[in-house]
Amino acid sequence: MSSMWSAINASASGLDAQRARMEVAASNLANADSVHGPNNQPYRRREVMLESSDPDGFGATLTRASGSGVEAAGVKVTDVVEDQSPFGRRYEPSSPDADSDGYVATPNVSVPEEMVDMLGAARAYQANLAAIGVVKDTIQKALDLAK
Amino acid sequence: MSNTINDTAIMAALGRQMTRAVARESVASSNLANIDTPGYHTRDVSFDDALTSQLQAATSGASGIAPGSSSAQEAPKVTETEGLAERRDGNNVQLDRELLNLTRASGDFSAAQAVLSAKFRLVRYAINDGR
Repeated sequence: MSSMWSAINASASGLDAQRARMEVAASNLANADSVHGPNNQPYRRREVMLESSDPDGFGATLTRASGSGVEAAGVKVTDVVEDQSPFGRRYEPSSPDADSDGYVATPNVSVPEEMVDMLGAARAYQANLAAIGVVKDTIQKALDLAK
Repeated sequence: MSNTINDTAIMAALGRQMTRAVARESVASSNLANIDTPGYHTRDVSFDDALTSQLQAATSGASGIAPGSSSAQEAPKVTETEGLAERRDGNNVQLDRELLNLTRASGDFSAAQAVLSAKFRLVRYAINDGR
């Protein structure tokens, strides 16, 4: 039984991670033109770091010790890092942010890339949701045995 | 004499089929959760050991595969799947493959559950004197 819940927990951690990716992609898109951040630098594109996490806690330890089932591995967001690729440059001498040559540094965000990222995250979110639905149906069917 | 498979053994076997289906669902769910984790490799759960020991028991004189024998209670083994194409980030999870595995496991579970609940219905019928 515990492995049914561990499957749901793993899928839920997947939902969490994909939502984080979507939020970061949204923030990147929103700031695709923010040439002037709080540190007087253009906005730097952010990226989510994911890591597979083996479950811990009493249930997982018990399952491992008894060798009776399978504990599903979840995923976790370890960090949100800034993309260190170089800023873009745009010729705009009238801007107050322009350097002596008349160029303005622009964020290293590429809009199409963010859109693709967001779409990927949305699809992966749906897949995790479908997995939760299947496991939930399985639990319901197991309970129906007692009817 | 001709039939050594009794009711209890059948029910135990059905229970094991359900347990295995859940294990397969678990592994597929965890693969799906890690579909974007760099370096993650697709995992599969196998019960080959159980089958092998069953076949050995069958060939070494026992009469047929007894679904109730305790040697079938082998622990499931989780291994990394070989032969899947890796993406650039070292991840080789395939969405369609995992969804298919999930659906297949769910179908196996439903089948075992349907038979088991039919068995329970029969028992209840007998207990209630056919009413």
